[in-house]
Amino acid sequence: MKQSIIINGKDHVIDVDGNMPLLWFLRDHLEFTGTKFGCGSGLCGACTVHVDGQAIRSCVIPVSSLVGKKITTIEGLSENGDHPLQKAWLNNNVPQCGYCQAGQIMNAASLLAVNASPSEEEIDTAMQGNICRCGTYQRIKKAIVEAADTLSKEV
Amino acid sequence: MSISNISRRNFLKTAGVATGGLVIGVALPMNALAAKGIMKDSGEELNAFIQIDDNGDTIIYCGRCEMGQGISTALPSAVADEMEADWARVTVKQGDGDEKYGPQATGGSASIRVMFQPMREAGATAKAMLIAAAAKVWKTSPDNCFAESHFVINKTNNQKLGYGELASIAANMPVPEKPTLKNKADFKYIGKELPRHDQDEVVVGKRIYGVDTKLPGLKYAAIVHCPVLGGALKSLDKADALKMKGVSDVIEIPRFNIPFGSIGGVAVVANNSWTAQQAVKQLKIEWDLGENASYDTKEYKQQLVKNVEKPATLASERGDLNKAFGEAKHKMSATYTGGHLSHAPMEPNASVVWVQKDSCEVWASTQSPADIQKVLGQYLKREPKDIVVHVAMAGGAFGRKFKCDYVHEAAVISQETGAPIQLIWTREEDMRTGYYHSINAQHIEASMDENGNVTGWLHRAAFPSISTLFDPSLVRTPANSLGDVTNHLFGVENMRVESGDAKAHTRIGWYRAVYAIFYGFAFGTFADELAYKAGKDHLSFVNQLFDNNKNKDQQAQIKRAKNILAIAADKSGWDKRQNLPKGQGIGLAVHYSFQSFVAMAVHVEVKGDEINVLNVDCVIDCGQVLNLDGATAQMEGAVVMGMSLALSTEVTFRGGAVVNSNFHDYPVMRISDMPNVRVHIPDSDESPTGLGEPGVAPFAPALSNAVFAASGKRYRDLPFKPLSV
Repeated sequence: MKQSIIINGKDHVIDVDGNMPLLWFLRDHLEFTGTKFGCGSGLCGACTVHVDGQAIRSCVIPVSSLVGKKITTIEGLSENGDHPLQKAWLNNNVPQCGYCQAGQIMNAASLLAVNASPSEEEIDTAMQGNICRCGTYQRIKKAIVEAADTLSKEV
Repeated sequence: MSISNISRRNFLKTAGVATGGLVIGVALPMNALAAKGIMKDSGEELNAFIQIDDNGDTIIYCGRCEMGQGISTALPSAVADEMEADWARVTVKQGDGDEKYGPQATGGSASIRVMFQPMREAGATAKAMLIAAAAKVWKTSPDNCFAESHFVINKTNNQKLGYGELASIAANMPVPEKPTLKNKADFKYIGKELPRHDQDEVVVGKRIYGVDTKLPGLKYAAIVHCPVLGGALKSLDKADALKMKGVSDVIEIPRFNIPFGSIGGVAVVANNSWTAQQAVKQLKIEWDLGENASYDTKEYKQQLVKNVEKPATLASERGDLNKAFGEAKHKMSATYTGGHLSHAPMEPNASVVWVQKDSCEVWASTQSPADIQKVLGQYLKREPKDIVVHVAMAGGAFGRKFKCDYVHEAAVISQETGAPIQLIWTREEDMRTGYYHSINAQHIEASMDENGNVTGWLHRAAFPSISTLFDPSLVRTPANSLGDVTNHLFGVENMRVESGDAKAHTRIGWYRAVYAIFYGFAFGTFADELAYKAGKDHLSFVNQLFDNNKNKDQQAQIKRAKNILAIAADKSGWDKRQNLPKGQGIGLAVHYSFQSFVAMAVHVEVKGDEINVLNVDCVIDCGQVLNLDGATAQMEGAVVMGMSLALSTEVTFRGGAVVNSNFHDYPVMRISDMPNVRVHIPDSDESPTGLGEPGVAPFAPALSNAVFAASGKRYRDLPFKPLSV
């Protein structure tokens, strides 16, 4: 039986070289292009997705190591693009070029899942691996705080 | 339906579409552009297009390239405002490479400066024709009608007709001779905070960038370049690469010796990008490195310093510098340097090209589709107009994607293989095969009288010029590239500007803010050093320098520069800086570039060698602002880029090749470095000017001045904290 992984709730057979990083399985094989290539070495965070809810850099994780795992990409973060972070991103007009923002949002979602009201320092620490060359950091911080606020009211 | 009753050349032009509705374009009179010094007078007509469908859905095309600067929101919003369109009914589309959109080469912070007026006229023209259509239906006078939010309204009886209902009638209405533009007070979108038109797509991962293009039968390529400019392939063993599963071809790409052609390399074609990247590592290549193989930036920078600390080639002169220096009460000199920079946009260079017998189609993140048409046309020996260029959203560009070497390479591979090719550069190739910001040195000597008035200024600059892309024989920067030094707004009666020798050993290119980065740094920092020497504070000293400028043509500019510097000082608490805790300081700088004025006040805390930027007050006067939130974002981003280049980013060459490879040894700013940035944009009725770039220049000098105020330590070399690579 062929091995498979679950991406955004759907099973996908791994019918590529098992050493292929998840990033390229997503982008070239499944044509889910929301996850971006930035550095190929886990240095910039543009390729961030969730594995069982935890943020990882998909450019350095071989797809074969993820058999049976649940992967969430930006396309699957929310049903209708209405995750509190996505709403906060829009509310604060965060994106400039927007290329890194899928990775930023996925990383922030992973942070909020374990820490519902992060301090500014905790945001810095968690988001340190995600580069934005346009320089939207100030708005990213603001949006994360706002989303955390929304989430705390939902509970 | 099309409008065909237009005969006046060089004013308004229309074009038809297959569907019903109104399509309208507007042309800029070329002589007006030529008069502004933007384009050569070639007599070509220029167009931008609006399309209103019968159901009222409106498409506004943006001809300028989007790379995150927000132009595809800003310009269409000006059209929508003038045509009284409901922004919610407007879809923005990126225009393909086509001269009907006017000049598309997106650089020099020129898009709004060049296109604001014609885009407004396009909107106003559409509105006038829609009103004329409604007046015809109601058998009343156009003066008895007005437009509001996608409707034309009859003043007599309040009847309404939607733009969709009117579109096909409007298409047959005469085009107004001179459309009436709105008054500023009536703007609905211009000058307001409009969200980016595409951010809904960005946050769900649906925005398509150049790197995301997919086509049936697409093949994927990766490339390794010749590491040294002017080198060539000596030997290639491709056997191991070709053995890899999924690899189909190995293609040699010789250097194409034109300005934006490939530097030369070897590409591998495979059935996915990752396999192609792995196969590239299996290539056994020997390069003949050529004449630039000894390029070493550490040595080169030292040589540049020598070249500016001795007499150099005269670029311009006014007054009597020797006399001024002879009569000086105080004399002061300093030398400032900076390294090469790589643009490092988050999206590496990427494009898809499909060369077929009778066609060539390109999908690319680009700042200049016309240059792609030119370069590919030249390479394929086809007419530029036969190269179809789809302009994709660029994931950052900062000047890098003005140069289309990566597109040219994809075209070579596609031509050789017959397949549509997606070539994505790895980050390492992006870092090592750039068009770098110039390494540079500047030496300034100045004299002052007993009142701290600057009486003489000698300014020597040496940096390999961007002009070397077009004329590699240049051994120093031409005098005309030093105009920003000669014409600096500081009032100095006696001045001499000299150009030091600086031959290029790599490709030099425009990088966000370009030469303003180092001119701004030298002027802004030296002014602070002079102020200290004269026993004055920066603000009053610089104001005095401005006041000493008696050039009538520069008085309006000086007023604006002083105004924003005063705002920056005021917002930062400059007056109360004496009350700051020990180890903290505020530095000021103001710089004029891309026809805009930017002042910054940087508030730092210095602990030993550690520099902690706390607050930045950034003030820009770029005339009338189109999108206030977009402008604010551009300034926030400019501070971040300014901070990266001031503190940490530098490209190092050894043995002719770039040593840096990825973000671990090219440390751009990260979130924990982010200061509190406050952007202040005074209201202005002046014509709009540059916005994307001018914000970068004043950061580094303001930071140097702040660190000096906080600690007494003076930084004269960019970056202040280079990483040893």
